[in-house]
Amino acid sequence: MIGDLLAKLGEFGQFVAAFSVASVRNPPPVVRTIEEAYRIGVQSLPILLIVSVFVGTNLSVQGHNAFEQLGGQAMVGTFVALAGVREMAPIMVASMVAAKAGTEMASQIAVMRIQEQIDALEVMAIDPLWFLVTPRLLGILVVLPALTMISVATLLVAAWVVAVSQLGLNGADFIAQCADTTRGADLVYGQVKAFVFAIIICLVSCFYGYTSPKGAKGVGQATNAAVVVSAVVCAVLNYLLSELLYG
Amino acid sequence: MVERLARIGHFGTFAGQVLWRSVTPAWEVDAFLSQLWALWWRCLLPVLATTTPLGMVMALQGLQIFDLYGAQRLLSPLVSVATFRELSPVLASVLVAAQGGSSFAAELGAMRIREELDATEVMGIDSIRVHVVPRFLAAVVATPLLNLAGSLGGIVGGYVSAVLLKGETAGVYWSNLWVMTRPMDLLGGYVKAITFGAIIGMVACYFGFYARGGAPGVGRAVNDTVVVSATTFIVVNYFLTSALFGAIG
Repeated sequence: MIGDLLAKLGEFGQFVAAFSVASVRNPPPVVRTIEEAYRIGVQSLPILLIVSVFVGTNLSVQGHNAFEQLGGQAMVGTFVALAGVREMAPIMVASMVAAKAGTEMASQIAVMRIQEQIDALEVMAIDPLWFLVTPRLLGILVVLPALTMISVATLLVAAWVVAVSQLGLNGADFIAQCADTTRGADLVYGQVKAFVFAIIICLVSCFYGYTSPKGAKGVGQATNAAVVVSAVVCAVLNYLLSELLYG
Repeated sequence: MVERLARIGHFGTFAGQVLWRSVTPAWEVDAFLSQLWALWWRCLLPVLATTTPLGMVMALQGLQIFDLYGAQRLLSPLVSVATFRELSPVLASVLVAAQGGSSFAAELGAMRIREELDATEVMGIDSIRVHVVPRFLAAVVATPLLNLAGSLGGIVGGYVSAVLLKGETAGVYWSNLWVMTRPMDLLGGYVKAITFGAIIGMVACYFGFYARGGAPGVGRAVNDTVVVSATTFIVVNYFLTSALFGAIG
């Protein structure tokens, strides 16, 4: 168990090292980066909007419930701004992008591996790591922080709608509390988190795809491992980053 | 649009078949138990590894607010209520979808691609009863069990962060833990976990059972499973929260 884990970690280290060398040695793939960024962003946006809306509404309802017992129903705006902007939005965006774009990266690259397309790239003297991984990493680095911002905005609007229409709170107070609570630094820290999560999701997913076992089952396993490992690593790093940034 | 509606109808038919076979004999008890065992062990570590850090984050952020008012004793009730109501059911289910649901889709998809499912049908064996129902029921039973593990992880995470790292008093943390938690919070969390488990099991088996187009098809089935089940239960979560906790305040 531990041995397997260490072996995997070592393999991952080699993968990252080889990838870094490949990225530096070759010219930056500008056009493919734009393509990947567009694809990752457009693919993930609809589900992200749905999820953000419902996380926002849920935060309002739960915040209202929690503070009602303390007689502070009016604090909902503060709660939503704190919990939503600082914590929920970055980690939620990361999990959904890992589920959508990360699994897609893993399964695409795994299919290329088992259909020997990666070997074909090598034969054509194109570095497969540079060709496949670099544009995905640059693309997700551009897109994930932007998606996080969009998610923060959507979440706040949805929370506001629920606070006013379902919970009957004063809308202007809610906005004032959000504005008071959210500092510029919170938004910047959210972007820092998004940046780190983007690197983790892309490298982990591409690693599992690149080292996929043979066969249809292998592709399934690689995709499976990609989303679980990136979600767990993001959750753990999220704590460390929160401790570092807010602690 | 029509295609999407047809797809929903197709899913509905499949779900009806699975549900009917889940409540009528003969049950594949051995298959169910082995699926349940496999699912539990496969998901336990990922669930604990995500709920614990999130419990720690919650304690970290909660302390910042409660420190302002000198109300540190409210921290552990916050951690406990939030964990039981929201954090653990949702997170445990996300991980069950990512780890368990996707492996269901991968297994069934690979069986479909290798024509094993067609072979069982040819032999006159009901493949839904033999392959799908045990997995579906395993997801329904395992998710609440993993929710239990996840809530413990969240609470221990809160303890580690607040008491061990930030130097709050251990007695204050443990003695206030249950102050605001009511039976409804626990019950509601389990209602959520069971519902989410059913969604995951059904969606995963549907995408796996009808996978098409070789190895890429299996990859796509896994991808769709995680995305569709996670999105669905986050939407359902809001309605369940309003229904279960909205009225009792």
